[in-house]
Amino acid sequence: MTTPLESAEPAVAQAAGSSGSAEDRPAGRSTLRYAASKAGGAVLSIVMVIVGTFFVFRLLPGDPVRNLAQGRRMTPEQLDLERRRLGLDKPLLDQFFDFVGQTLRLDLGTSYEYKRPVLDLIGERIGATLLLTGTGLVIAVSLGIWQGTRAGWRHGSRFDRVSTGVSLLLWSVPTFWLGLLLMMTFGVGIGPIPGVLPFRGIESVDAPDGFGYLLDVASHMVLPCLTLVAVVYAQYLLVMRSSLLEEVSQDYVNVARAKGLRDDEVRRRHAVPNALLPTVTLVFLRIGFIVGGAVTVEYIFTWPGLGQLFYEAIKVPDFTLMQGTFMLITVSVIVMNTLADVVYHVLDPRVRTA
Amino acid sequence: MRKWFARLAVLGVALLVAGQGQVALAQEPGAGKKVLRVGATQAVDSMNPFLAVRVVSTQVHRWMYGFLTVPDSKTLQPSPDLAESWTTSDDGLTWTFKIRQTKWSDGKPVTAEDAAWTFNKIMTDDAAKTANGPAVENFESVTANGQDLVIKLKAPQASMLDNPIPIMPKHAWEGVTDLANFDGDKYPSVSSGPYVATEHKKDQYIKLKANPSYWRGAPKVDELQVIFYDNPQAAIAGLKKGDIDLIGRLNPPEFEAMKGDPNIEQWNTQGRRAAYLQINHGATTTDNKPVGDGHPALKDVKVRQALHHAIDKQKLVDEVWGGLARPADGSIVPPMFKDFFWEATGETKVTHDVAKANQILDDAGYKKGADGVRTMPDGKRKLEFRFTIHADTPIEDKLAEYLTGFFKEIGITLTTVKLDSSKFSDETGVAATFDIAISGWSVNPDPEEVLATHLCSRRPTPAGEGGGTESFYCDPTFEKLYQEQLKELDRTKRAGIIKQMLERLYTDAPVIALYYPNNLEGYRKDRVTAITPIPEEKGLLYGGSSYWPFYTVDVKAASAGGSGGADGGSNTGLIAGIVGGVVVLGLAAFLLTRRRKSAADDRE
Repeated sequence: MTTPLESAEPAVAQAAGSSGSAEDRPAGRSTLRYAASKAGGAVLSIVMVIVGTFFVFRLLPGDPVRNLAQGRRMTPEQLDLERRRLGLDKPLLDQFFDFVGQTLRLDLGTSYEYKRPVLDLIGERIGATLLLTGTGLVIAVSLGIWQGTRAGWRHGSRFDRVSTGVSLLLWSVPTFWLGLLLMMTFGVGIGPIPGVLPFRGIESVDAPDGFGYLLDVASHMVLPCLTLVAVVYAQYLLVMRSSLLEEVSQDYVNVARAKGLRDDEVRRRHAVPNALLPTVTLVFLRIGFIVGGAVTVEYIFTWPGLGQLFYEAIKVPDFTLMQGTFMLITVSVIVMNTLADVVYHVLDPRVRTA
Repeated sequence: MRKWFARLAVLGVALLVAGQGQVALAQEPGAGKKVLRVGATQAVDSMNPFLAVRVVSTQVHRWMYGFLTVPDSKTLQPSPDLAESWTTSDDGLTWTFKIRQTKWSDGKPVTAEDAAWTFNKIMTDDAAKTANGPAVENFESVTANGQDLVIKLKAPQASMLDNPIPIMPKHAWEGVTDLANFDGDKYPSVSSGPYVATEHKKDQYIKLKANPSYWRGAPKVDELQVIFYDNPQAAIAGLKKGDIDLIGRLNPPEFEAMKGDPNIEQWNTQGRRAAYLQINHGATTTDNKPVGDGHPALKDVKVRQALHHAIDKQKLVDEVWGGLARPADGSIVPPMFKDFFWEATGETKVTHDVAKANQILDDAGYKKGADGVRTMPDGKRKLEFRFTIHADTPIEDKLAEYLTGFFKEIGITLTTVKLDSSKFSDETGVAATFDIAISGWSVNPDPEEVLATHLCSRRPTPAGEGGGTESFYCDPTFEKLYQEQLKELDRTKRAGIIKQMLERLYTDAPVIALYYPNNLEGYRKDRVTAITPIPEEKGLLYGGSSYWPFYTVDVKAASAGGSGGADGGSNTGLIAGIVGGVVVLGLAAFLLTRRRKSAADDRE
């Protein structure tokens, strides 16, 4: 990220031209009002998610109690008991009110499978997921914006064709396949390529302490991160490229050039800040999904994150755990969506006046 | 100037990183230590044996805790474990076990009180029933007197010596108030088995150390690690790379993937499992009312026998299983359990004979229509059956293709229904909305449980509560024989009765056994120097229901300096970490210098 967001705003204000400082104060208040209305919408969405989650997960086939036994025999009394313990014997409406009450108290229930509070399980794994997907997002966004900017600025050049082609190719590759390929190549080793990178989990079983531990974790992140980035960076590249292409033909760019600014400066100080807007929105939308992790990547590389937890929960099926992780993911997407709306409002005065 | 400064700084950091790596390498522990690393494709659900139900968990608990008895490593017959000896009253209702004079890993003596507490806990605490509730269902009372443990039964039970419950240390566990929410993660564990658990990183690994006070003597390896992989391909890759030393419970494609690696021993032996077709021959609930929508033709034993004749089991083994199974000429108990295995011979044997199958159906009045498909004798319904399989199991897809071909030859249409596992167990175990379904069962050294899955009492209740039936079978002959074997404490005589039950299942065909899949495992021969399977002759390693292989296993010690295979994994990890770190820092430096450059440009 060569262009921090703070530097984008003055540039935008500058580019928008006539919007004087007189308009700034009402804009601030309108932003607040705007944010409030957006937040209201978000709360409503979250309530609908809670209601929807409860009923959707009750519609899934399969008896959770029998699945719990994992092929072992349970006596009918035992099945009864488990059902009572999990509250599955109550009428659906009672179950629903219990559920809503608990959720409002941030109690996500106890996992059927692990017999521990869902919130604890999520807490244990959220760090690993944020580390992996967060790092992946930062790298993918930087790479995408950098390549997209260059590709868009020199539209039709060899760099443009190669970078766009490669990113699209990787975008269309199945994650699972790419992950296994990277694992076999750099994890196990093929021919002259030595397999030095670890491909299981977040740390070695006999991981060293202190600084060595950080390195150990870093080395475990390389392959999952690479897989994650390779598959998604194309979207940032393409959005950045196309929005830059739009800006290139704008009058203000011509003005900048006419002022005698060097090509590099025209791009960096005028075109890019404006072109960044759609990318910023996209980034915020993706941040919402960070929490969901990357189920496939976590599965391939045995990454102990939320994606793995969700996958395990579906296999059982572990209703409470599924509900909990599902709600966490949807709520974070909603929150980030709302935030993206507000940030966009702040960044782009055209949206404010519209 | 600034550029140079930035680059120098980066170089400095990189050197620092490399230096730290050196230090870490030098600190690498474990020279001379023997570590066995076992791969598992299932994570531990709980380290509390009262709750844990997954195979990997019960396996780990087998290494940590003693049982009353353990299958003998040669014959698989019950042999002394924590119970040194035992006697039975004449009516078969009172069992007295003499508990061995030995110590828990924390130095406290093992007494009959520990065993009594464990069993009573399961009998009285509902939460404790989770894992092994049915195993104490028949217990009237359990009392302790010094080293004597007395179990009184409600009815005779010959399988008493195959009790699956690990004996827990009363002094360490009686303080647990909320057993339902206790995950057992307290280390080191208080154990009486060959190993003591010392660390558990959830969904990552478990470490166990040799128990020096184990009554047979400490195992040969110092440490046992169970390393979890989410996906089997990664686990096989880990074995090839040398990150793990042994892995069990493989399917044929995974097993084939190890082929050609000079360091890997492919372990292919007869298995514990029987795969069979479950046939809806008129499913009923426990009050004998019909349930489900099975095809009426399957109520006719002649149709079931014709299906049996039409199946080319050898072809299935060769082409579906790649030869890694044995065609079943018996029933649901596989041949590895020599004492109880029954195989059809002579007249009883159902051979692959399409002509005979057609003959049986012709004689019984199932006429072929113009389209080549047979109809019921009353002409009302065609012989079109559904075949229910699991949605996520490719090998069952292949099986379905072959069976469809086999049955077409006798004028029967088969259509495949794929269900996810929870729906599958609902439809084929409770609702009976199937015609033919794939099924299978892993058998214990005492086959009582697998036989019980065909009892009348296991059918679902009228309220739709599943009882764990594998066939909806309810046959007076079978029930009578089951009760007889329960009371028969003479092993040879009991085996005779059990064989009669297997023959009944074979000829009446509520289930048709297809094959006995082999037990497929693999280990690093450059690391594992000795391991004794169970049974000792061509037996199982990880898949066996005993600690024997992991008690006898020996591996090469890790060599000093970290060049040995044992700690190679973490060293390469470290090196990779250094490389990764340098790359990241290099990238950062690149960006930094670029920024510096542009900042300089701005000032121009």
